[in-house]
Amino acid sequence: MVQMFFLVEESESQKMTAANIENNSKKKSNKNNRLSRITILRESQIMKIHYITGVGALFVVAVHIMMRLIMPYNMSLEYENVILNYKNIFYSLLLESILVLIAIHGFNGLRIILLELRQNEIWEKGVNILVILGLIGVIAYGTRTIIIANGLSMG
Amino acid sequence: MTSASSAKRIGGNNNNERSNREGLKGWLNPIKYGWERVSYWFQRLTGIFLLVYFIGHVYETSSLVNGPDAWAAMLEMTQTIGGHLFLILVIGASTFHSVNGIRLIFTHSGQGLGKPGRPDYPYDPASINNRQRSGLWIAFVLTAVAMLYGANVLFSGGE
Repeated sequence: MVQMFFLVEESESQKMTAANIENNSKKKSNKNNRLSRITILRESQIMKIHYITGVGALFVVAVHIMMRLIMPYNMSLEYENVILNYKNIFYSLLLESILVLIAIHGFNGLRIILLELRQNEIWEKGVNILVILGLIGVIAYGTRTIIIANGLSMG
Repeated sequence: MTSASSAKRIGGNNNNERSNREGLKGWLNPIKYGWERVSYWFQRLTGIFLLVYFIGHVYETSSLVNGPDAWAAMLEMTQTIGGHLFLILVIGASTFHSVNGIRLIFTHSGQGLGKPGRPDYPYDPASINNRQRSGLWIAFVLTAVAMLYGANVLFSGGE
């Protein structure tokens, strides 16, 4: 009877240890999943973003080109006319959306091409970092132009 | 079998990289692959070209903040025959990239691929069918039309 009690207790303690190990590993994998979810988007999600930005860019660029064609092309590029365009808040927002959509689409396209050519960890990380830096740089520089031109005086 | 020996077995080195990798040469090789391969690298070449143009365009328009003289000087560079021809290429590249891109979105979502069938001789894949081919030709025709329209606007001053 005493022996049986020990056996039961031993199996109970074994169960406890196994449960603890499982719990710990679950916690670890949860942590890893959370981290990977924070830092990395899945390629399928990036591809969806690529398509959405592509189709979005198509529409806003069409409006941008039409703005050049509602009057004779050379006249539409005169300094006063272009500044007037930039002073219109809706047009400025349109330009900003073109800037963001094409920058995301273009730099992600470049990333896809570069990752197709070569695959290893250093290359992939390097390409990702360079592409993100390029993306931020172009958006920042273009936004600076839009903001300054929007606040410029006509004189 | 270790991973290193299996890498050697497939003709690679210890870093699991294949030694028979063709790289850019293989990427640009249209032989034996048909028009789909041409559209594949046209999509990529036009994409890179448009990204370079986009960065140049953002830089070019930034001259606006330096006043009318800087804007006129920058504009003068584009108001030449060479500048116009470059813009016509941009119009062609953006039209092809857009139309072929829309075809690719449909293709990636499984539209227009045909039904899968038994691989019989001469092993024509069901996915490379007339619907895909017509999408390609529509892209080429629209590109030509857009370039002609752009040439007309640019060389006549849009009047």
